[in-house]
Amino acid sequence: MSDDQDRQLSPRVNSAQLANYLGKNVRLACKVLNIDVTQIVVEASDGGQVNVQIQSHSEIDDTYIEVVGKVQTPDTIRALACIGMGSDLDMKLVNDTIILTHDPRFKTMFS
Amino acid sequence: MSQFGSGGGNFYNNNGGGGGGFETSPFGSPSRQKSDVAQSLRPFTIGQLQQATQLHSDAEWRVEGQEVGQVTVVGQVVSIQRQPTNHVFQLDDGTGLIEARRWIASTDEDGTPKDEIAEQRYIRVTGGLKSFGKKRYVNITSIRPISNSHEIYFHLLETMTVYLTLTRGSPHKGADGPVVKGEGGSSIANYSSQNAAAMEQFSNLPAFKRSIVQYILSQATREEGIHVGVIARAIGSSEADANQISQALDELMDEGIVFTTIDDSHFNVST
Repeated sequence: MSDDQDRQLSPRVNSAQLANYLGKNVRLACKVLNIDVTQIVVEASDGGQVNVQIQSHSEIDDTYIEVVGKVQTPDTIRALACIGMGSDLDMKLVNDTIILTHDPRFKTMFS
Repeated sequence: MSQFGSGGGNFYNNNGGGGGGFETSPFGSPSRQKSDVAQSLRPFTIGQLQQATQLHSDAEWRVEGQEVGQVTVVGQVVSIQRQPTNHVFQLDDGTGLIEARRWIASTDEDGTPKDEIAEQRYIRVTGGLKSFGKKRYVNITSIRPISNSHEIYFHLLETMTVYLTLTRGSPHKGADGPVVKGEGGSSIANYSSQNAAAMEQFSNLPAFKRSIVQYILSQATREEGIHVGVIARAIGSSEADANQISQALDELMDEGIVFTTIDDSHFNVST
């Protein structure tokens, strides 16, 4: 785990994979469903809902965002950054790509 | 693209880059190979670039044994340091961090407005891999913001495609070759080379079924398609008798790939 932190990995995940990355940093491409003061609710590329704890929601104005953050529970992430991904994103393509990046064939490329 | 002039011998040189195409074959005469690869451009993840090794500070970089020429990466800008002579971008693509450095020439005209390349945004950089001390960085020849987020995922898929092609060979030449050669005859072989793109959608079929589809396509200028007997004569061989062909045709029909035309014995390919 310390090795992961040294290399500053933040694997791309969908909601189903969050449980495998408790306490680690991930990237979650998602659609913003609901914005609250300290938390937003998003839909991950596999359709699962995830709660994202945020510092400030002023930076979130895109429909789709990529949350970089630390996994707290299997459905909660504490955001370190939210990157705007625009108003149009093919979530099936995103999800298929994410699943491929976890394929053992590409282990040396993504982990 | 005028900055990508004809490359000098040294591919680390700022204007020695550009060029197109990927390294096609890992086998070849080493001396020629070097200059070919040096001029080639390959998409990478940052994690791959951090694994790259070189024998000495002047040698070519290698990733898992493959020589590296010019590289292109897509990453999120973590930090920007703008210095008088160069700009340094720290990039993160989820697989690692790397610096990308852009030298500012006095005559340099940067077509990209500064505010488009800002922290937190995704950008694509292209250039040569260099090292300074223990640190490695990409010496930027081209830099631009990602304006459509799909490009981030395109890049990931492209890195995977290129990786598989380089480590396992092209999908259309590797596994398929022997079958086409063995049963196809020259007309099919010619056909497949001319219409490789049209055949792409059938590349997931087993070789035997694919050769049937390939044959029908090569003959199908008539709407009524091809008689099963003609297919059998063209494809048939000792191990592929008429029963196998009719069974394969039935399965192809169930899969919606072929259909019967004027009667139950004539087949054509759905398009």
